[in-house]
Amino acid sequence: MGNYICSKCRGPAVFRMRHHRLAFCQPHYLEWFIDQTARVIEKYHMFAPTDRILVAVSGGKDSLALWDVLWRLGYSVDGLYINLGISSEDDDYSNESQDYAEDFANQNGLKLHVVDIPQQYGESIPQFAARSQRGRIKPCGVCGLIKRHVMNRVARDEGYDVLTTAHNLDDEAAVLMGNAMTWQVDLLQRQYPVLPAEDGFTRKVKPFCRFYERETAAYSLLRGIEYEEDECPFSIGSKQLAYKDLLNKMEENTPGIKMNFYASFLNARSAGYFIPHNQADNEQSRELNKCPICGQPTASEDACAFCRLVKAG
Amino acid sequence: MPVTLILRKKEYTVEGTITVKDALKKLGLSPESHLVVRDGQLLTENDALRNGEVVKLVAVISGG
Repeated sequence: MGNYICSKCRGPAVFRMRHHRLAFCQPHYLEWFIDQTARVIEKYHMFAPTDRILVAVSGGKDSLALWDVLWRLGYSVDGLYINLGISSEDDDYSNESQDYAEDFANQNGLKLHVVDIPQQYGESIPQFAARSQRGRIKPCGVCGLIKRHVMNRVARDEGYDVLTTAHNLDDEAAVLMGNAMTWQVDLLQRQYPVLPAEDGFTRKVKPFCRFYERETAAYSLLRGIEYEEDECPFSIGSKQLAYKDLLNKMEENTPGIKMNFYASFLNARSAGYFIPHNQADNEQSRELNKCPICGQPTASEDACAFCRLVKAG
Repeated sequence: MPVTLILRKKEYTVEGTITVKDALKKLGLSPESHLVVRDGQLLTENDALRNGEVVKLVAVISGG
């Protein structure tokens, strides 16, 4: 079996994507990856060239790659790192991840906002989780709640038009599989590469939603981006990882099945297949109020879930 | 001396000469969720690994 050749220049390839039937050398892969991101931004009308963009960065391969690509495409894009206060005996996970995000920003002369959760709110994510019903088994629910609140707050306070996250196709397919396993039609309906701005929520977009996770990793490696390779210690044993493993086992035998799963879902969703029959009731039940403490939108008639969590400490 | 593959500080060994694809298969690792890097260079599944070489495995799947 011979080595692969670049689909563009016919030189030796360093990366192959079976589902696209493409292989590329380093420069042409980097070029292809940026072009594909630009196409996705255009396809879903994610943002305009003049928009101010905030990218949520974790210090991992996906978010730093996204920041790099948007910056190379010429967008006005700043980063936001949220230090969650997560560490273990042999791994200072959150602080190390912050170092990677800060190094990337400094190397490229980019602006990074940092919100340190323990410093700002007095407790780390594991501490918040330990005393809440939502986080009693795993802190991931509390972590998601806090991150969503902080991302939206910073985006609004600092006047950004769009909040971008680096969710990739594997992330989206795993969430889709989880929601499809229990037919959560309301969640299926909300899963889309763009969530429009509404009622105090900044517009949210996912420009990497069409990339496989190995493609974003290859971009970071080939671009020479240094990133946090360790996993969040709380992700071990998560359902999302289990779904990703299952999908990858299928992908090994049937190249493209992950892409088809997600793309077909988006088509079905656009065709109206995931509208709950009691849509009118749902619209009514989703009416949002303003949290009297932080001012962010909430379905609650009192303080939002974030403020209740912080206040209870 | 076999091929050494390092994944997050953990070392694995396989006998060379062997392709990247077969080495991953022997270790029970999915090629969909692992990339292989030698001296900073990304390898494709058909690249050969020879005895005595040390390569890095990069786990590409993350999430929680």
